[in-house]
Amino acid sequence: MTLLDRLLTLLRRLRRSATAPPSPGPEELHRQFIARSRSFRDLLTANANTLAAMAELETALRDGRTLSMTFIRARCTLVTVNVFKIIHHLNRMADGRYSELERAFSRLHRQIETILDGRRKPATGALILDLRQVGRAQADLTGEKMANLGEAGSIEGIRVPPGFVLTTAATGLFFQRNQLYPRINHIIQQMDIADLEDLHGKSGAIQELIRAAPMPPELETLLLDHFDRLAEARPGCRVAVRSSALGEDLGQASFAGLYHTELDVGRDTLLDACKAVLASKYTPRAISYRLAKGFRHEEIEMCIGVLTMVEATVSGICYTRSIGGRNDTLDLFCAPGTAKGIVDGTRATGHLLLERAPPHRIVRRLEAEEAIAPWLTDAEATTLAETGMRLEHHFGTPQDIEWSIDRDGRLYVLQSRPITAAALHAPVAAHPPPADDRLVLHGGVTGCGGAGCGAVCVVHGPEDMLRFPRRAVLVVRHPLPGWAPLLKRAAALVAETGSEAGHLATLSREFGLPALLALDRATELLADGDMVTVDATNRAVYRGRVEEALRRPVERTNPMDGSPLQRTLIEVLQLISPLNLTDPASPDFQAGRCRTLHDITRFCHEKSVIEMFEFGRRFRFAKGTAKRLRDTLPIEWWVVDLGGAFVPHYDLSRTDIDIADIACRPLQAIWAGMHGVPWEGPPVAGLRTMVAFLFHSALRDGLDPARTSALREKNYFLLSQKYCNLSARLGYHYAMIEAMLGDRPGDRYITFRFKGGAAGESQRVRRIELLAAVLDHFGYRIDRVGDALTARVERESEQVLLDRLKVLGYLVIHTRQLDLVMAEAGAERSYRDTFIQEIEDMLNHE
Amino acid sequence: MSDQTLQLEAVLKIHLLLVDDESEFKEVMQRHLSRMGIRLSVSECCLDALELLEAQPIDVVIMDMNMPGMDGIQCLRKVKERWPRTEVIILTGHASVKSGIEGMESGAFDYCLKPIDIQELIEKIELAAQKALINQEDDIP
Repeated sequence: MTLLDRLLTLLRRLRRSATAPPSPGPEELHRQFIARSRSFRDLLTANANTLAAMAELETALRDGRTLSMTFIRARCTLVTVNVFKIIHHLNRMADGRYSELERAFSRLHRQIETILDGRRKPATGALILDLRQVGRAQADLTGEKMANLGEAGSIEGIRVPPGFVLTTAATGLFFQRNQLYPRINHIIQQMDIADLEDLHGKSGAIQELIRAAPMPPELETLLLDHFDRLAEARPGCRVAVRSSALGEDLGQASFAGLYHTELDVGRDTLLDACKAVLASKYTPRAISYRLAKGFRHEEIEMCIGVLTMVEATVSGICYTRSIGGRNDTLDLFCAPGTAKGIVDGTRATGHLLLERAPPHRIVRRLEAEEAIAPWLTDAEATTLAETGMRLEHHFGTPQDIEWSIDRDGRLYVLQSRPITAAALHAPVAAHPPPADDRLVLHGGVTGCGGAGCGAVCVVHGPEDMLRFPRRAVLVVRHPLPGWAPLLKRAAALVAETGSEAGHLATLSREFGLPALLALDRATELLADGDMVTVDATNRAVYRGRVEEALRRPVERTNPMDGSPLQRTLIEVLQLISPLNLTDPASPDFQAGRCRTLHDITRFCHEKSVIEMFEFGRRFRFAKGTAKRLRDTLPIEWWVVDLGGAFVPHYDLSRTDIDIADIACRPLQAIWAGMHGVPWEGPPVAGLRTMVAFLFHSALRDGLDPARTSALREKNYFLLSQKYCNLSARLGYHYAMIEAMLGDRPGDRYITFRFKGGAAGESQRVRRIELLAAVLDHFGYRIDRVGDALTARVERESEQVLLDRLKVLGYLVIHTRQLDLVMAEAGAERSYRDTFIQEIEDMLNHE
Repeated sequence: MSDQTLQLEAVLKIHLLLVDDESEFKEVMQRHLSRMGIRLSVSECCLDALELLEAQPIDVVIMDMNMPGMDGIQCLRKVKERWPRTEVIILTGHASVKSGIEGMESGAFDYCLKPIDIQELIEKIELAAQKALINQEDDIP
C-alpha cells in the first residue's frame, strides 16, 4: 500500500466519522489531527506567501525603480488571495470559530479594490472651446497647457495665436465610442517594460488602434466648423495641433516633449493630426516615462489644442529664472524659425542671460557659431523679458515659456507653464577638465551633472534602441525626446547638439542621468563598445574608467517621489502592512481589532499554532503526546509531533525524549545553536538595576520572581520532519521561532519574534538593538516596533537556513535576562561583537 | 512520509485540463507536462471545456480568466456547481483583487498570476491533484 493510499484511507475514515456521535476514539482523533495538520501546513504556506508579497511592495516603495501599476495590482492581489486562504484554513482548523475575521477582511479588500481602481470621473461639458473662452478654471476640461495659454491670452499686452481646444469630453467620447480603453488595457497588462522590442511592438499596436478608430460624426462636424472659423479670419491658414494633457501637473514630472505636435496642418489632414496626437500618448517614450514616474495611463487624459500657425522668424524658450542657478537672471534660448529645433535639441541655439529686474539689462550673450547676425535684437530680448516677468507675476511662479516672433515683429506666447524642480537643478561646471592623456573630448553644455562610466552605444535610429545594453553610454547626434526610454538604462548621455533647455536635458535631470550636450563630433570620435567615463559636470569624456570623476557624489533622486503611483502604493500599504497586533498576551489581540491584512495574518498565525496545540487538550489527546525533551540547561522543553518528527524506533509510550530521537532538522539546528557555546548563566546586574527589576516585577502580573511558574514555564516545540515552531517564555521575554524547510522555495523560511523583558523600556530596547544587529549581520530582514522585533529570512537553501537557525538557538539562550545589564548606553555594542564572533566560530567549527 | 512523494504520486493519477486561448503558453505546458507523464487535455474556451468535462472525468482544471465567450468566473462557478470534486486553478494575466476574491469564494483551489514560473505552476498542480484525489475518495468536495 502506498503512502498516498494509506493517507487516503485515513482521510476517508475521518470524513465518514464527521457525522458520527461524539467522543471519537484515539484512532479517529489521530486522523482529525492529520486533517488539521494539513490545514495548518497550507495556512503556513499562505502566510509565507503573504509576507513575501508584502515585503516586495515595501521594497518597491523604497527604491521606486520597479514600480508600475501592474506590479502593485499583482502583489496586492497575491496578498489578498493568500490572506483569504489563511482565514479559510484557520476556520477549518477551528470549526469556523473565527468567522468574525471575514468581516474585517471583506472591508479591507473592498477598500484596497477601490484604491486600485480609482479613476477620474468622466468629463462632461463642451466638446470644443474657443481659446478665448479658456482660462485656468477650465483646466479640468482643457488640460493644463491650453488652460494656461488661454489664461495668458487674457493678460493685457500678451498675444497668443487664435485657436480652439478639443476638451476631455471630446477625447473621452472618442475613446469611449470606439471602446479603446479595454483594448488598450489588455495590451498594456501583457507588456514587458524591460523588453524594448516588446514595448515597441505593443506601443505600435495601441497607436494603430487609435489612428484607425473613426472620429464620432458629431465631433468631426464641430472640428471642421471651428477650423473654418479660424480660416475665415485668416484665409488659407494652417494650424499646429498639440497635446494638452490632464494629470501631468501632479508631482515633479515635466512630461517634457513626450507627446506629438503636428505643424502646418490643413483642413484635409486635421482629423488625422488629432488622432496622431491622441496616439502619441502611447509612444514607447511616453509609456516608459509614465511607468518610470509612476503615472497610470488612464489618469492622463489628452486634450488637443488647435492653434493658428505663427510664421516665425525666430523662436525660443524663456526661463524666467535661470536654470543655471542664478536667482537674479532669466534665460532666453533662441533659434531661427520655429521653436521645435530647440526643444528637440536638433538646432544650434543662441543663449542670452538677462536681469530679471527692469530694465532687464543683458548680462551675457552667447551666439551660436553659425549665426551671422544676432538672431534676437536687444529690443526684442527686453520685450521677451518683460513678457516673461509679466507671466511669472500673473501665475505666481517662475515660468517656462515657448515663444515665436513673426515677420511683422509680433511676439506670440505659445506655451507658459511652471518651471519644474528638475529644470532648476542644472549645475554649472565645477572644474575645467584636467590635462589628461585619457581625455577624448571636452566642451559642450552640461545637461545634468554627475559622471557615468560604460561602453559607448551610438544610437542613430529606433532600430539601434533595441540593441542598447544596460548601463551603456548613450551617444546620439541630436538629443531627441524619442530617446527617452533609454535614459533609465543608460550610464550617461552624450549628444552633439542641444542645450539645457531641451526636453531630453530636462528628462535626464529628472532621472539624475549625467548628460553632456552640444559636444561636437561625439558620434564620430566615440565608437561602439569603447569604455568611457563621461564627466558631465566638468564637460569631459575620458577613455576607460576614471575613478576620480566617478567618486564625486551625485544626488540620485527616487523618480517616483510624489507620483500618483507612489501615492496609490502608500494608500494601499496603509491597509496592508502596519502591524497593530504585536503582543498575543495583550487584551487587544482579538479578531475584531484587526485593522490591516498584516494584523489578520499575524492573528491567524498565532491562533493556528494555538489551535494545533489546543486540539490535543480539548480532546484529551495531549496525554502522552507531548514529550519532555531532555536537556542539561535548567529549562523545560516539551515537544509535540505533528507528523514524522520522531525517529521510527522511538518508543511512543515514553514520557521523555532525547534530541537524538528527534528527526526534525530545524529543531536539531536550533538545538545545536543553543548548546554550541556554553551559557555562563544570568549576567551580573548592578544593585540599582536589580532594585528597578524587583519594582518592575511587582507591577507586572506573572513576573514575580518568587513565583516559579513565570520562570519555569513549559516551552513547547510543535514539530514535523520539516517544520518547527517554538513558543517560549524564557524568563521574562517571549520568543517565537518558526521554521519551515520544505521542498518549494515558498515553503522555506524562518520567522523569529522577540518581545518583552524584565528591565525598563530603554534597556529592553537596547537588547532588541543588540538582537537586530546580530541578526542583520547574519542576513535576516528586521522589522522593529518598540521592544518587539520580527526577523525573517526566506527562499534560501536548506543549508543556509539550518545555519541561520543555529544563530537563533544561540541568541535565545545567550540573551536571557541580558536586558538587566543593558543600563549603559552602548552596552549592546560590546555584546554584539562577542556574539558575532562566538557564532561565527561555532558555524565555522562545524 | 514525504509530502513531495505524495504529490508526485497524486499528479500521475489525475487527468488535467488546460483552458487557455494563448497557443504559445499551451504548447509550453503540453511539452512540460507530457514529459512528466501527466495526462493532459486542452481547450480554447470555457464552452469547449464544459463539453470536455461532460464527456469524461477531469480532476484538475487550469483556467485562464480572460477568454473569448464566457467570463472566467462564470465558467468556474459552472464547473464547481456541476463537478464539485474537480479542483480549479485560475491563471490570469489580469490581476485584480476583485476577481481574486471572487475566484476563491467561488471555490477555486488557487489563483495565480501570469507570467508564472513553470516549476511553480507544476507544484500548484501537484497540490491540487492531491486534494482532488482526496475529494474523489471521499465523495465529498
